[in-house]
Amino acid sequence: MKIALFIPCLVNQMMPEVAIATLTLLEKLGHQVIFPKGQTCCGQPMTNSGCFDEAKNTTLKLLNAFKGVDCDAIVCPAASCLVAAKENFHEFDGSQEAQEVISKLYELTEFLHDIAPIKAFARPVAAKISMQMSCHGIRMLNLATPTEQMGKQRFNKVEAVLGNIAGLEIVYPARIDECCGFGGTFAVDEGAVSAKMGKDKAQAHAATGAKYVVGFDPSCLLHLDGMIRRQKLPIETRHIAQIINDAL
Amino acid sequence: MTELYTASGSKVHAHKADIFCRDETRVDWHSKALWALREKRDRAAGSLPEWEQLRLLGSQLKLHTLSHLAQYLEQFEQQCLSNGIKVHWASDAQQHNEIVHGILAKHKVKKLVKSKSMLTEECHMNPYLERHGIEVVDTDLGERIIQLANMPPSHIVVPAIHMKKEEVGELFHQQLGTKAGESDPLYLTRAARAHLREKFLTADAAMTGVNMAIADQGAIVVCTNEGNADMGANLPKLQLHSMGIDKVVPDMDSVGVLLRTLARNATGQPITTYSSFYRGPQEGGEMHVIIVDNGRTEMMKDKILAESLKCIRCGGCLNTCPVYRRSGGYSYNYTIPGPIGIAVGAKHDDTNSIPWACTLCGSCTYVCPTMVPLDKIIAHHRRLKAEAKRLPYGKGGYMPLVGRFMANETLMNTSMSAARLALRVLPGSLLKPFSGAWGKYRELPVAPESSFASWYNKNRSR
Amino acid sequence: MTNKHTILSALKQSALDQHAMPAMDVVANNDDLVGQFNASLNTVAGTLHSEGGLAALQQAVDELIQQNMQVISLLDGIKGNRQVPETAHDLADIDYAVIPGELGVAENGAIWVNQPSHRVTPFICENLILALAKDNIVANMHQAVKQVALQPGELGLFIAGPSKTADIEQALVVGAHGACSLNVYLY
Repeated sequence: MKIALFIPCLVNQMMPEVAIATLTLLEKLGHQVIFPKGQTCCGQPMTNSGCFDEAKNTTLKLLNAFKGVDCDAIVCPAASCLVAAKENFHEFDGSQEAQEVISKLYELTEFLHDIAPIKAFARPVAAKISMQMSCHGIRMLNLATPTEQMGKQRFNKVEAVLGNIAGLEIVYPARIDECCGFGGTFAVDEGAVSAKMGKDKAQAHAATGAKYVVGFDPSCLLHLDGMIRRQKLPIETRHIAQIINDAL
Repeated sequence: MTELYTASGSKVHAHKADIFCRDETRVDWHSKALWALREKRDRAAGSLPEWEQLRLLGSQLKLHTLSHLAQYLEQFEQQCLSNGIKVHWASDAQQHNEIVHGILAKHKVKKLVKSKSMLTEECHMNPYLERHGIEVVDTDLGERIIQLANMPPSHIVVPAIHMKKEEVGELFHQQLGTKAGESDPLYLTRAARAHLREKFLTADAAMTGVNMAIADQGAIVVCTNEGNADMGANLPKLQLHSMGIDKVVPDMDSVGVLLRTLARNATGQPITTYSSFYRGPQEGGEMHVIIVDNGRTEMMKDKILAESLKCIRCGGCLNTCPVYRRSGGYSYNYTIPGPIGIAVGAKHDDTNSIPWACTLCGSCTYVCPTMVPLDKIIAHHRRLKAEAKRLPYGKGGYMPLVGRFMANETLMNTSMSAARLALRVLPGSLLKPFSGAWGKYRELPVAPESSFASWYNKNRSR
Repeated sequence: MTNKHTILSALKQSALDQHAMPAMDVVANNDDLVGQFNASLNTVAGTLHSEGGLAALQQAVDELIQQNMQVISLLDGIKGNRQVPETAHDLADIDYAVIPGELGVAENGAIWVNQPSHRVTPFICENLILALAKDNIVANMHQAVKQVALQPGELGLFIAGPSKTADIEQALVVGAHGACSLNVYLY
């Protein structure tokens, strides 16, 4: 397939290794990958604060970067940004062209589960990993059934994708999908509560004895990384793309 | 942090939360106690294969009722009247308090026993009646504890959840004469039972909230575990019940659905100990129902906010909320804390900060037994505050700058590469003072050498 | 305008779309209703006596009376040692009240009780005894609310176990303001 990468500003500037892993793994899977120029912020920091006017310019610039791009799918390694992009594109541009972009947007896990499943992994990854089930991926993108939801029909796309990697042991922290406390500007507006949530989450991950905290939302991972190093906990953060790339 | 205080002296949520968080042991204790309720809820809800169907039914029947509310309120009133129940209407808290006082004054009531009612808290009824010389005795154990301690409730179902048993023991020792140093919950509960038994037997009138008002029956349903509402309502000959307009449901079938989810979602019990249906006064007595608006019809004018009125006050959203559990019930600048408190209280918050006491994680929305879209409502409140130019935490000043910065690739690339460089070469101790709340609580990120875009240009550009 | 008219006319500006009432088609679990009821009653801290019927109940009441307990019975055929008093307040020293239960609910152990002579009887007694016919147990609340009926002026209620509270540090204490124990006799 022909894939356009949507690399959110935070990943582009602060976590390029996540974007590189995403690009590389998609290429290894035989896809043609392009990186359209002119990508800006999806507007989430502003719209999550209620400031829609302030978000409009950057959101539309990002949308324009994908309009008319010849591709089958637009893939993003950040669940929260993807959700915001979808909502904000819809909010600010009701055109058919915008709708075409929105309909091609996929979060990486979602893409690898729903659209182009991985047939086989080439290499084992001998590690115990503790999954960071970030909120927007779980509760807005349906990557897994949230723990609040009852009933027998449960799914977990993250585990379904990673489950076939030989040597990988997947575990979960206590209070599996309780928020890690990042929450965008919440991390600074509500510093004390955000930090306490992050500390609790980091300790829950470390208590599993896993080598890595693995997640699909880079912003949560960045926050957890800061908490883990502050607490000097024996665990490190990895993005799901890095684990998958290692296994291909 | 700017704008800590408003002119009226209220403090932003973050400030109160920061103080709450200073005692970490207590935060852990508080968070754990509430999470235990969430776990009990999960077990109770999970034991019913039809749980998600019940949530959907609860949501649909509430939406149906709300979209035909005038019709159901009128039907409820007519049925009440034919059952010998007197019905009063109050547009706001002041009218509610005046109506209640009028009824009590007419009967020369000196002592009123009251069971839990968030509406009377919302109306600040107790102080009003006390100013008029009426003794108001809260009879729910948790409510009695906080009344004796002169505090408001910190949770809508377990109002004294923030207090440790030793603190309750000391309070009861001072106020009820229990043994000093005694903090056993059984002993303290028995002492409260004896103390309040005397109040029930000597009360002149009783007041309760209303969990559901059944339109086609002209009956109200009151749910308690302790039996305090019924001990009150059935001893003195005068009973009063206050209800928001959102409490009405069409029929018994609706009650059947909501009674299945209410207690399970609140405490994990299959149903509360007592679910009492009152369809008229006792022999020789009087029964009054006061129907209160107090801002609810205003919420109905906004399609998103209107869904807050589906709430049945189970408290499940508080128990699951990671922010509430770590900031406590007194940090919200409103009588009702937690996600539902933000939904119904944001417009009253003069610090404008409570819509931001939330990470938009969405757990509350999935927990809610009537599917109130709490995260969407909270996000909507943020937008309403922004449109009204009432943003907290200096956002009104910096958000336009962030918006322009984010939309400007060149500016962003230059300044971020400078920031990465600073993070790599300067010692953390030098940077931390400039990194604000991020660096106060967390280590600063390990900065990469270049952005992905630069890497891509070098490695993939054709 | 009266308050009522102010409120009702404000509702005309509601932004909500019209929603239809949903169909309540919940599948009931009808397996072993007595067994389900027993399990549910246990979780709400009540005790079930499923053998011996009303004779066992009378025997239990007789033993209580021998222990100098004050027992009032509102159930035909069961004799206590106290009559229904003039005023409700005179029930304050009742140790045990025996009251007929009309309907049991298997999913939650609740029992529908309607209109004892003084409404406060099931709450003010120190201990509560309910009698319930085996055939009057339904699976769930959807079925229960269809079978219970209230006349004007009545108080009817679902009772699930003895009164309880967990308001002090979430520690469950049985016996708050209402009865401190609930025994249910099936017949």
